[in-house]
Amino acid sequence: MKRLDKFGYIFIAPFFLVFITFTIYPILLTFYYSFTSYSGRGEAEFIGLANYARLLTDSYFYQAFYNTMYIWGINFFFQLGIALLLAILFSDIRLKMKGLGFFRAVFYLPNLITMASVALLFGILLGWHHGTINHLLLDLGIISQPINWLNDPTTARWSVGLIGAWMWFGHTFIILMAGISGISKDYFEAALIDGANRWQTLTRVTLPLLKPIMLYVLITSLIGGLQIFDLPMLITDGMGAPQGSLNTMVLYLYNQAFRFDNYGYAAAVAYGLFMITVLFSFITFKSMYRKNVKEG
Amino acid sequence: MKSNTIVKGILYVALGLLVIISFIPFYMMIVNATRSNAEILQQGFTLLPGTALMDNYETLIQYMNLWRGFANSLFVAVMVTVLSSYFSALTAFGFAVYKFKGKNVLFVFMLLLMMVPGQLGLIGFYDLIRVMGLLDTYIPLIIPPIAAPFVVFFLRQYLMTVMHPSLLEAARIDGAGEIRIFHQIGFPMMMPAVATMAIFTFIGSWNNYILPLVVLFSPEKYTLPVMMGALRGSQVAENLGSMYLGIAISVVPIMVAFLFLSKYIISSISAGAVKE
Amino acid sequence: MKKVLSLSMVSMLALGVTTACGDDESAAGSENSGDREKLTIWSFTDELEEPIEIFEERHDVDIDLTIIPIEDYPTRLRPVLENGTGAPDIFTGELAFIKDWVEQDYWEDLSQEPYNAEELADDYIEYVFEMGRNSEGTLKALSWQTTPGGIFYRRSIAEEVLGTDDPEAIGERFSTMEGMFEVGEELKSAGYRLFPDEGAVRWFSQGQNPQPWVNENDELVLTEERKNHFDYAKELRDKDMTAFAPEWSPAWFAAMDGKINYNAGWDEVDEDASNEVEVFSYALPTWGLHSVLKINAEETAGDWAVTNAPTPYFWGGTWLGIYSGSDQKDLAWEFVKMMTHDEEFLTDWALDTGDVLAYLPVTEEIKDEFQDEFLAGQNNYKFFLEEAESIDPDTVTRYDQQIDAMFGSMVEDYVEGAKTKEEAIDEFYNLVRNAYPHIQVPNQ
Repeated sequence: MKRLDKFGYIFIAPFFLVFITFTIYPILLTFYYSFTSYSGRGEAEFIGLANYARLLTDSYFYQAFYNTMYIWGINFFFQLGIALLLAILFSDIRLKMKGLGFFRAVFYLPNLITMASVALLFGILLGWHHGTINHLLLDLGIISQPINWLNDPTTARWSVGLIGAWMWFGHTFIILMAGISGISKDYFEAALIDGANRWQTLTRVTLPLLKPIMLYVLITSLIGGLQIFDLPMLITDGMGAPQGSLNTMVLYLYNQAFRFDNYGYAAAVAYGLFMITVLFSFITFKSMYRKNVKEG
Repeated sequence: MKSNTIVKGILYVALGLLVIISFIPFYMMIVNATRSNAEILQQGFTLLPGTALMDNYETLIQYMNLWRGFANSLFVAVMVTVLSSYFSALTAFGFAVYKFKGKNVLFVFMLLLMMVPGQLGLIGFYDLIRVMGLLDTYIPLIIPPIAAPFVVFFLRQYLMTVMHPSLLEAARIDGAGEIRIFHQIGFPMMMPAVATMAIFTFIGSWNNYILPLVVLFSPEKYTLPVMMGALRGSQVAENLGSMYLGIAISVVPIMVAFLFLSKYIISSISAGAVKE
Repeated sequence: MKKVLSLSMVSMLALGVTTACGDDESAAGSENSGDREKLTIWSFTDELEEPIEIFEERHDVDIDLTIIPIEDYPTRLRPVLENGTGAPDIFTGELAFIKDWVEQDYWEDLSQEPYNAEELADDYIEYVFEMGRNSEGTLKALSWQTTPGGIFYRRSIAEEVLGTDDPEAIGERFSTMEGMFEVGEELKSAGYRLFPDEGAVRWFSQGQNPQPWVNENDELVLTEERKNHFDYAKELRDKDMTAFAPEWSPAWFAAMDGKINYNAGWDEVDEDASNEVEVFSYALPTWGLHSVLKINAEETAGDWAVTNAPTPYFWGGTWLGIYSGSDQKDLAWEFVKMMTHDEEFLTDWALDTGDVLAYLPVTEEIKDEFQDEFLAGQNNYKFFLEEAESIDPDTVTRYDQQIDAMFGSMVEDYVEGAKTKEEAIDEFYNLVRNAYPHIQVPNQ
């Protein structure tokens, strides 16, 4: 066997070659640039911790963090809420709802569409005096005057958050259904025989068994949500309008680097974003670990 | 029993409403793509299509060759999917079959970096590509995905559950080399898992926006998402009908493809989630 | 397994299609390079399309024009120029960022042999020529046009509401800000809107005391007059003098050609019994005539005239230069020369488009007889050439594109009522400092 083990190295070599060149090295290079005033041309001047000092007092970075969490919060609440309701509905063995395949496909559809196209589409659908959504709402009598959705910080953040939920609830619904079908039918039937009502089945059987998969949804959604870029970049002016309310962390990073040529500072922003991600992942993992211990 | 029917009726109405919400933005898009700028601005919302489709198409295509963007995106996404699938399978096989020094360290190292957000190295990546003289080429989009830690992780887990060492031993006794064993036994064995991951890889590459935005500069090389972004500031944006049409062109083919592949995609998502 | 197979079939098919496309092109390309020379040009507008056709015919060459929207243009082009791969032979620069580019090594030095463009200096309006020069005096780019601004208005509306459509008389009424707002009131009560949006007035506040955004000490300069922009924009909004059609939006273009939908359901307009309004005028410079108005106004063609704004101003302009790494410099220079220094071509161009040239031998020739049918026979040439005399090129800085955008969005916030004037100004300073840490801002 020994003579064959060198093949292990051969098989994983291409991966690690590419991994080190295009992932590890850029991460280290970015770290180096975060201590310089690199402007994309010429030499990078070493300026110590100045970029990080600036980051700690940069109200725009804090604003970007706040916006990112705000948008993600709305997104996640509705995404999980709707998906959970749907999953409970379709898993109810007394109701026996039909058409799961159809609904699943239709609800999933928005998730497949390129985010850039979605941003562009809603950018014009949500227009003020000439937007189709306002026209529709006026026709239906839901509003009496056109709302400038993308020009007010609150409605703009809600719009982006809800668009995100619209794109993702179908995806989450599929995952939750997968989780439920992993739960043995016996549990539900046993609950039925024991005379448990709907509420009891839900709180004692379905939800506890779904908890791990909901945590999985939480983590993937959070890591993705912290990196939200396409929607805020393309739905308004690309600089976070209105009033900086759509200025997310990655958008801020992008603009500092590629719009204003502050590559050094943008590198520090990237590491700021990284620290925040690590912190959140740590908190979530910790709560998941405790859960596992309890179950075990 | 009767109240149950009523409840179900209400629930189906609610579901129908949700279907409408899911679909109405696309419907508005398609209808508006057939209307002239003036009609959209003056007459507001309507359910009926207009007659300006060809005019809108001409205006659109005059400034932006979206089909070119389609071909570019397809090329990049297919290359990424093929390379990423093959090399991930290779790596997973290496990790699952052989015992070698540092194996566990390398595997854990890889998993740890899986948690790192993709934008962390963006500045350094851009600079590296610049120094290598590879800006404005597809190489920075196609080569790096060869190293996809998550796919490797998923395939390795899959391989651990389905592979029997005796199968490999039999092949070795027949005189097959290790490389051949991978291609003839290992890879086919992983195929269902590879296909699941290939779908995610393809969709991910197809929808990727920030990376091509940063490394591509010539409009004829733009992938579809970057082209969509460029649409906003272009002369096409003077005409709402053409804008809607441009967006529709980027969206409708995906919807049609989904029509055929929906079952497969959805079961892939389910499989991916449960395995993890 | 079957599905996997079909999936891979699709992939193979896709690969085949794209490589086939690639083959086609390279075949066509090699054919071209066999007998015809090829030149590539990058620009931010399509205005070069016709000159390119003419040049292709004259020299039997192929020219490839790449157009990139202006907001992305500098960020897209710069890396290409830095690296040289896929760089064009000729690229254009706009007023808002030309000051940055002439200082870089992107453009060929036109002062030297074989171009000797310095000899041409006397043929141009002075500021246009000087703008292509960097701080060391090296000439990098040339332009064919001058870009003073005015106010384009609808004659029929002027006749109906103001009693005359004569540019002199209308110009008289527009000569002060007060006069302009009075006209706005009269239009309002007749059911028309003075401007499409509030952006139009930014030029008039800057025009009252033209200063660069950033002075030679890297200090941000926000003049009292620039601050007036806040008040003017607010007044337009409060008195309901605009059609809510933001600059460059589809509604903005549509309003050139007739009525547009306005406040569907907005309480105040119910008494008008109509949800549609018509816009009276647009603040646009010379090029606004041929590359904006003429393209979008079909029904209203011939119903327009141009007159002076409350203050002189200038906006935009396209400069041409040769990429310093080009291997087709001679041919590229031929194109630049045709575009900026060819009497026959420029005469045709001016008569055809109405573009106001910076090239004096032609302007001297045509300015007295010039008239444009779109403007009902008005001589816009003479008008604009006079306006051009008040252009002060020293107010242009390399930061203009970004700082203009930041200031504009702060004015917007103020008009919307989201910020007070003081907050908006303070935030403007913060935005500038955040983007350009080396610039000193007053609130530091």
